[in-house]
Amino acid sequence: MSANFDLQKMNEWEGLRGFSNLLSKENRAWWGTRRWWVNALLWTVLLCGLTAIMLFMPNEEVYEATEAEINQAGGLIGYTLRVGLNVFFQFGVPILAIGTVIQAQDLIIGEKQSGVAEWLLSKPVARRAYVMAKVAANALSVMVLLVGLPSALVYGILSLRIGAPFPLVPFLSAVGIMTAHTLFYLILTLMLGTIFNNRGPILGFALGSVLGGGLLGNFIKPLFFVTPWMLPEVAWLTATGQALSAEMGIASLVATVLWCVIFIFVALTKFEKMEF
Amino acid sequence: MNQPDIFVIETDGLSKSFGDVQALKKVNLRVPRHSIFGFLGPNGAGKTTFMKVLLGLTRPTKGGGNIFGHDIVNESVAIRERIGYLPQQPRFIEYMTARENLRFAARFFFSGPADKIEDRCEEMLNLIGLEDKADRPVKGFSGGEKQRLGIALAQVNYPDLLILDEPASALDPLGRQAVLEVMERLRKHTTIFYSTHILDDVQRVSDSVAILNKGELVTCGPIEQILNGKDGLVYTMALKGDPDGLGERLAELPWVAHTTMTHRNETSVWQVSVSDETAAERDLLRYVLADPAVTVAEFNRKKYELEEVFMETVKGDVNVR
Repeated sequence: MSANFDLQKMNEWEGLRGFSNLLSKENRAWWGTRRWWVNALLWTVLLCGLTAIMLFMPNEEVYEATEAEINQAGGLIGYTLRVGLNVFFQFGVPILAIGTVIQAQDLIIGEKQSGVAEWLLSKPVARRAYVMAKVAANALSVMVLLVGLPSALVYGILSLRIGAPFPLVPFLSAVGIMTAHTLFYLILTLMLGTIFNNRGPILGFALGSVLGGGLLGNFIKPLFFVTPWMLPEVAWLTATGQALSAEMGIASLVATVLWCVIFIFVALTKFEKMEF
Repeated sequence: MNQPDIFVIETDGLSKSFGDVQALKKVNLRVPRHSIFGFLGPNGAGKTTFMKVLLGLTRPTKGGGNIFGHDIVNESVAIRERIGYLPQQPRFIEYMTARENLRFAARFFFSGPADKIEDRCEEMLNLIGLEDKADRPVKGFSGGEKQRLGIALAQVNYPDLLILDEPASALDPLGRQAVLEVMERLRKHTTIFYSTHILDDVQRVSDSVAILNKGELVTCGPIEQILNGKDGLVYTMALKGDPDGLGERLAELPWVAHTTMTHRNETSVWQVSVSDETAAERDLLRYVLADPAVTVAEFNRKKYELEEVFMETVKGDVNVR
């Protein structure tokens, strides 16, 4: 047995000790396994495929549109673009949230239940490094594979459809809103993983919010100001350059970002106190 | 309290409750540096909880402790820097190979150079005899292979303290033998604090032992002292003939604490507790042989097996001795 002097000791801030190693492990779970291409393929085929169908094969809905509606959209192509973007954002944003919740529900409780978290925390690892590595690596992967890649392809399809570059600013703004919505559900799910010890409540709360939030908001309108429930529609309206109503303004986006910060804080606090 | 040069682990009134259940009750334990310290107790005695408290995985309800002079609650990361831990059921990153798991574990302690980290991983694989399976994902490993890999992972940083929770429980006799040899080899480099149910192993390799029962530390000390039993030195004799009045005469000797006698066929079996080992070694046999009415068939200093001590301690059966 030789000594440790020929190895360089890890030199990290104690408050985030172990972060870089945990981050590489989380990245490896995405990019070193088949997970990355399965996600890339699934979301690209699903979101881009449906959007392309709407853009290039106008169905009866397009032809059943009233002349006023088509004129309001700036013509048939404009109306077709609205329908395509409606599918990508109004359908795609909640679907991405559901996909994110399903993939993230096991990230913390899976390791809690299997004993991997206990083993990792027996190493010189700060607990906040464990949580932050999960947030950072999964946020990056979700943004690239679930949001970025399909969005880039849809932008290409839109430009192809109109024979010119689609207006970039409204589209990127809408993608930004889509990103905020997706990250909200990623971070919410991770936080719930620090609170609960089984998957039921995690899926219940997170999917309940995605699927039932809009309904609840219709009964209690002010909730739209402080939740991400209107963001799918906001993203669609932003991408198509339409006017936003009061409750769809900046408030819900700011609230969503604030919720993300609060969820991270709660997750760090809960995980710090957790006993293994 | 707090003598890190002598004791690696020191706890002071360490208690832990889970609701109404008191898992640890005021445990005061000191583990000497470079010892192989066996931590025994029946299932549910609190051994794993105690280890988890030491590692900062769970917090004490009352009391505290230190390892290497660092507080176990507030300086946990600094402590874990110098510790290797093998959980009762070793866990790994399942999609990684054995080598990747070792590399991953080493990266918590060392930033480089990469080739030296690789050398360390190779050394650990050789140590546990898993060179030929180094590049297979661990999810296909048998229980014994996982246990061996767990031991390698616990040692990858050359820890000053190894905490092993049931290190040999999943191993066959050959694997167990290998683990004991590794532990003996590491004695000069590190302190080993381990829990086990295999009392023969404890008696073979440990220098100190503690027994935990229902969260309470009931026995603790060097193994020789434990094996002597809590009645101190006891000599056993099997005598043939008529020992009439021998008990009274022995009791008059100043270094004899007490005697008991039972009959076995034609023989009387005596247990003589003494307070002075030198006097007893010199005079006891001579004194009995001087009695022409008896013949000495057996004469021994009583040595307890660890299992006897354990069973008595845990069951509270004071009549064994």
